[in-house]
Amino acid sequence: MKKILLILIISLLTVFGLANEEKTIAFEEPVLITSGGQSPGALQMMVLAKTGGINYEFVKDIEPTAENLAAFKTLIIVIGASGKGLGAAGIDVDTELERLVQLVNIAEEKEIKVILAQIEGATRRGSSSDKITDALTDFADYLLIKSDADEDGKFTSISEEKKIPIRFFEKTSDVKDILKELFL
Amino acid sequence: MRKNITIIFLAFIFIISSITFAEFIYPDIRPGYGVTSTGWLSDYFQPLKDTNLDTPIFIMDSGNPGATFLLMGGTHSREIATGVSALVFLENALVKKGRVIVIPYANRSALSIEDQDSDIPHFFQIETKSGPRFIIYGDRRTDINDQKIPDPEKYTHYPSGMVIDDGAESRNLNRNYPGKPDGNPTQQLAYAILELIRKEEVDFNLDMHESDTPRTLTDSQGNVYEGGRLAYMLVCHQKGLELGAISVMEMEDMGIPMKLEESSVEFRGLSHREIGDHSNSISFLSESPNPGQERIGENKDVINDPDYPLKHRVGMHLELIKKLFSTYNLFYEEQIVVENLPEYDLLMEKGVGYFLN
Repeated sequence: MKKILLILIISLLTVFGLANEEKTIAFEEPVLITSGGQSPGALQMMVLAKTGGINYEFVKDIEPTAENLAAFKTLIIVIGASGKGLGAAGIDVDTELERLVQLVNIAEEKEIKVILAQIEGATRRGSSSDKITDALTDFADYLLIKSDADEDGKFTSISEEKKIPIRFFEKTSDVKDILKELFL
Repeated sequence: MRKNITIIFLAFIFIISSITFAEFIYPDIRPGYGVTSTGWLSDYFQPLKDTNLDTPIFIMDSGNPGATFLLMGGTHSREIATGVSALVFLENALVKKGRVIVIPYANRSALSIEDQDSDIPHFFQIETKSGPRFIIYGDRRTDINDQKIPDPEKYTHYPSGMVIDDGAESRNLNRNYPGKPDGNPTQQLAYAILELIRKEEVDFNLDMHESDTPRTLTDSQGNVYEGGRLAYMLVCHQKGLELGAISVMEMEDMGIPMKLEESSVEFRGLSHREIGDHSNSISFLSESPNPGQERIGENKDVINDPDYPLKHRVGMHLELIKKLFSTYNLFYEEQIVVENLPEYDLLMEKGVGYFLN
């Protein structure tokens, strides 16, 4: 009887342990990096991907067509609304939002994984950036967030409510090593 | 008869006292060994000669082939960390590859008058290696007496036609690029700077600025004023965004986080927009936090503020310059190598005066 109980306890502990082990999340290359709001954060992500040795393509305002996404296995959208960036692209935030929603819908159809990244921190939070975040989270497979962008807990809540894995980092340059881990 | 003479004399005194003259000022600049030649901006655009808009320039030529960089301070003369950063650069730096051109006080006319928006004194004395020196806290714009024409009701930028409601902005150098050779004195000043950039084939340039601090303030009535968003920003022309992206990350790594901003294509007249558009030079603009530009408060300490002292602001600009150099060298074959600039920690420990001749 004692033996059975011991086996049962060990089995339970093993199952419990496995359930709590952090899953290794991996994404596949090639990666398409685009902007979600035309801030310079997407460009920083491109530089980080380049220095991290990731197989990527960077198109800041890629047109949302199945053909444009066909070659990619992961889509990284760097969220950050910039009036100057949107102005330079000759669009407003609603036009940008429309492009992004079409893009993530195509990604879902094509089974392309989506990483939502906020790498510019608190200074790039605001109503326009949040509007973009809210519109895209249902399509996200992973959240990559600079810690000070989550001072109000917005990204933590999204992660918990929608069961999306989240990774925080302190400095923008930390993203380089995180990308290396994600794209094993 | 005596009464008439008295009236004429009083009228003469009144007329004389009502005429205002432009002030002359030549800032205290003591070049170090790195400076290989000096000149005037009018060497590149003759009409500036013998006006208060002409300003001294300093060439630091390594004698070795490489890139050419232009450093500008004092576009807005009240933004004192910019002129002082330029002074620390040209009094200490040794250029080993390429060339650096320094314009420490881009708008010398604005330096000649007190800040018109505050009661901050015109001169501040600081201790240096040679004893006391004065830092000049000037105005944001060209002295109206040097502009020689009244401000228009609204300012219209040349050549875009963009209109700014405040007509006084016609005297703001950083709203007047690319300038106009036959325009008003501030337009001519902007044109002369672009002429220098084109003739000297400047590869990249930094126009240093200061802005309101990020500090949130509350006045005596309990009104809350949010801090400014410009401080700690690096604005990049589209040609320099990638270079700026790396420089900003390196600044964060060394403990001074900065924000990267793309130059607006809609708002015209700014150096980072027009210099990049009207020359081959890659243009950047940096912003440090100046307590003197906060919206409220009295007795603002622009030298020794506990959060944003002058030494910190100068250190920020100098570190950014170093990062721009190292990043530029990653991207381009023509290199620029500069030594003997103070390290940030040493600057914070010793103060600015320790690095001034």
